[in-house]
Amino acid sequence: MEVLDFFFNSLVFPGLLFASLIGLLYVGIDRKVTGHMQHRIGPPIWQEYLDVGKLMSKEDITPHAAQSLVFNVVPLIALGAVVTVMLLLPVYSAQPALATVADLIVIIYLLNIPAICLMLGGYSSGSPFGSVGAARHVVQLFSYELVFILVIIAVVTRVGSLNLTTVVGYQAQHSWLILDWRLIPALIAMFTSIQGKLMRVPFDIPEAESKIVHGAMTEYSGPKLAIWRVVYDIETLVVAGFIAALFLGGPVAYTIGGVQIPGVVDFLIKTLVIVLITTTLRNIMARLRIDQALKFYLTFGALLAIISLVLVLVVP
Amino acid sequence: MTFVVPFGPQHPALKEPEYFRFEVKGEEIIDLNVRLGYIHRGIERALQERSYLHNIYLAERICGICNVAHTTAYCQTIEQLANIEVPDRARFIRTILCELERIHSHLLWAGVAAHEIGFNTLFMFFWRDRELVLDLKEMISGNRQISASNTLGGVRRDVKPEYVPTMLRVLNKLEKETKYYIDVCTSDRTILARCMGVGVLTKEDAIKLCIVGPTTRASGVDVDIRRDDPYAAYDEISFKVIIEREGDVLAKVIVRLREILESIRIIRQALKALPRGPLRTKVAPKIEPNEALGRIEAPRGELLYYAISNGTDKPERIRVRPPTYANIPSFKPMFVGGTIAEIPIVMASIDPCFACTDRVTLVDSHTGKARVVSFDELRGRRK
Repeated sequence: MEVLDFFFNSLVFPGLLFASLIGLLYVGIDRKVTGHMQHRIGPPIWQEYLDVGKLMSKEDITPHAAQSLVFNVVPLIALGAVVTVMLLLPVYSAQPALATVADLIVIIYLLNIPAICLMLGGYSSGSPFGSVGAARHVVQLFSYELVFILVIIAVVTRVGSLNLTTVVGYQAQHSWLILDWRLIPALIAMFTSIQGKLMRVPFDIPEAESKIVHGAMTEYSGPKLAIWRVVYDIETLVVAGFIAALFLGGPVAYTIGGVQIPGVVDFLIKTLVIVLITTTLRNIMARLRIDQALKFYLTFGALLAIISLVLVLVVP
Repeated sequence: MTFVVPFGPQHPALKEPEYFRFEVKGEEIIDLNVRLGYIHRGIERALQERSYLHNIYLAERICGICNVAHTTAYCQTIEQLANIEVPDRARFIRTILCELERIHSHLLWAGVAAHEIGFNTLFMFFWRDRELVLDLKEMISGNRQISASNTLGGVRRDVKPEYVPTMLRVLNKLEKETKYYIDVCTSDRTILARCMGVGVLTKEDAIKLCIVGPTTRASGVDVDIRRDDPYAAYDEISFKVIIEREGDVLAKVIVRLREILESIRIIRQALKALPRGPLRTKVAPKIEPNEALGRIEAPRGELLYYAISNGTDKPERIRVRPPTYANIPSFKPMFVGGTIAEIPIVMASIDPCFACTDRVTLVDSHTGKARVVSFDELRGRRK
């Protein structure tokens, strides 16, 4: 029974099927909203499904210069990593699907795996655009990740536990952490950091199409590119869900007028709001240069996170 | 230790194929070599093979974006050859068309520049407003882009009185939007971070290298053919020549956006002062031996036509010097000392139109300095 549960969790809910369906839908909504913000009609919100479906049906081509195991395997590893994070997130209640002792540190590591996989894929693709994109990816990884971890440390210090379930439970008992003024700088830093993590303007430097085509993904096509798209879309959902759990109290089940509304609805609303905030941010800015991005994260972003950390430690 | 970074002929930042060879030390660019000629189309020769009237079609297709500029310059040169006076109404209509084209060209460029710095929302906004201008062009000439309005001795289509209210309304809207864009471009932090102090062309360099158009006006050089050598109806219209002193990419953006405002003023005046009268005078197909030089201020700068006639209905020789060709030397002072990350936006900042350029470039690969591009370089491999 436990084995069956595990397979259900990882493949259907809240794993692969649920995560990819919702992730693709959210990126579709993101594209539609972007279109409206730019005074275009924009694609329909199910466009991501069509795109991924089309890519899946294409011939699987590996370029001659990229004939290696690494190039072919990294999309799958990245997919595995993001789906695993989905299992560790509180999606329908404070308790995640995998009720083991995995804590925030594991999630931080797992969230880095897609970025590292993309970097490896770029370097192994044998294309100058791929390797330039991968190099920029490394620089960017080191800059936003510092801010990301500092924010998590501030939250963890505030709650006093490294366990995401405890963080969510704490917020259920007291109040959402977003309402704590000491963590407001950390929240702002978090949004700058995920903008880099999800490679959105102004930090989409690793895949700046006017300079380096599509960065590390340049040589990917067909089903492999489709997997990358799914990875990216699930990552968007996962990162939004992670912030929802850290700051917005995670999924809460309500009873409105005698009708029981499951926690997963709350989860979907909160993550959609976070995705829409990142969509807005990416539409009102120009892309920075890689040195400017590094400077921004190491000064402004890190400073905000440290202010929060100090406030949490000093102010009772 | 220097590396060679090839840029082109096929590159996502270049809309047209040209080859640039950057020598870099780390991130810093220390030298630059340009190799033109990838889209040489042999149009000058083709101009000699066709009659004067037929050549209008060809001149119009030298550059899709500034087609009115090319036909105006061509027609003006041929009218000088044949000693023809253009009717007043035609001169004003030419002015209106030229200025509409300047607005649309500058908006197009601003959109491309916004795209180069990754600001896609602004890109879409610029191109949304460019549609307004294209609609006006379509209303007057029947075509959105290639207007086919100019002809020898005048224009072919009239600006009817019922068009004027629509035009004034659209111009008002455009003026409001342009002011907003100037505000955005001078205040948005990310735009300033990418454009300010980047790709600077000093006034001395601009004068020394004979740079033309908005590129030189952004460096503080007070040059504008519309004022210095008036053609069409510009001598009867008052307007300012826009100058910025900084010479960086931001100054080039601001100069172009403020020129749009100035163009709107010019069109309003021209519409108000539009004289009555015929649209064109007759031109005999054969032109006596003569030579003439015509120049106009195209959206990108001074466009120069030189023509020799030989008594037949075909020209002996026509030489065209488009503005981008004159601006190519400015790449060197703008790039050297900068970083690789600045290449796309600085390259875009002169508003290059390589198809124009290559049609007149005689690429001499035998002068010793020019070098044939190797396959490895084209593939982007380091030596």
